[in-house]
Amino acid sequence: MCKTSILLCFLISFSFSFSQSAKLPEVDKSPMDVSYYPNNYPILKIQNKATEPLIARVLYSRPQKQGRKIFGELVEYDKVWRLGANEATEIEFYKDVKLGGKKVPKGRYTLYAIVSENVWTMILNKDTDTWGAFKYDSKKDMLRTDVAVQKTDEVVESMSMYFEKSTTGISLIVAWEQVKVTLPITL
Amino acid sequence: MKKILLVTLLPVIFFSCSEPEKKPAGNDTPSKAEAPIKVLPPASNYTNPDRSPMDMVYFPTDYPLLKMAGKTFVPPLMRIIYSRPQKQGRPIFGGLVKYDTPWRLGANESTEIEFFSAATVAGKTVKPGRYILYCIPQETKWTFVLNSNLYSWGLEQNRLKDLMQFEVPVEKTNLAIEYFTIACEKKSEKSTTLIFLWDDVKTKLPISF
Repeated sequence: MCKTSILLCFLISFSFSFSQSAKLPEVDKSPMDVSYYPNNYPILKIQNKATEPLIARVLYSRPQKQGRKIFGELVEYDKVWRLGANEATEIEFYKDVKLGGKKVPKGRYTLYAIVSENVWTMILNKDTDTWGAFKYDSKKDMLRTDVAVQKTDEVVESMSMYFEKSTTGISLIVAWEQVKVTLPITL
Repeated sequence: MKKILLVTLLPVIFFSCSEPEKKPAGNDTPSKAEAPIKVLPPASNYTNPDRSPMDMVYFPTDYPLLKMAGKTFVPPLMRIIYSRPQKQGRPIFGGLVKYDTPWRLGANESTEIEFFSAATVAGKTVKPGRYILYCIPQETKWTFVLNSNLYSWGLEQNRLKDLMQFEVPVEKTNLAIEYFTIACEKKSEKSTTLIFLWDDVKTKLPISF
């Protein structure tokens, strides 16, 4: 009940907000999010608890499953996918790293994926600040690297990306529905 | 007493943008704002989206869409990344966001502003690069501050890294704006008014390139 009335208040104020000016940017259905390595770096930083420098940041928008079949349907196999929603996913490295055995100078890149049932081809592309994969240009690829599809135990509702420490550096984990891939980044 | 009640009963729904380290009282999935320090076991990394979702503003407005539609072939001029707290019935300025105290212009991380070209902000020259932008709100004016302490959580600002300040008057809106909103009002191809809106307050920062 309490929740309902709050939701109602929220909806009312929301509609008021936007009746005032239709031009204001609305809140996105697939909200944007950010992950860092080290995890939660900004909080560690202001608490002086960061033991490693900032190495990577990924900016992506998080579509939700909402009961739909994702891989093979909503996200079609063998097509370039923006790895999220809205703007293409951006990955930034704050130092030179290696991906798929290739050297990647520090800087901003767009990260795409071509998904299939057992393997995803991760694509690091130099064309940033772009929407979706509609203007994807393979000539601007920095590199491509294949990663194996793993299964998660739980169903992941909101597409999630985060970094983990690995034996050779760090890994970017991408998970949605019951699929998970691990992209190794060598430092 | 009222304050105590509010703190006890409502933090789950009335998530405060100025006090992100408060423990949640309910069993909501922890957002990164509340359980920030420990690296969680993998299963818990599949968090729900944040209560104060992140958003991005480009100038030219919707630059990635313009690019996709083949309507621009030059690089963007500016990008802002911020998180959007909601009013949820609370008085914001002078209430949730205290006067005379630095505010992160959003929620969670400090608001990031990147100029891809040299800019003039409220008459002052700013070098290309990435900065954080926060403000010190007062009832009739806001002082915007450009600061170099990047990738920091917005709860406290390192004033030693302040670079420059811009004072602008506060305007009032007729109706309360629910979500904190930053938008670009285009003046010309190379100049814009950056608008900040929340509750019944509106401020403007003129920027040209």
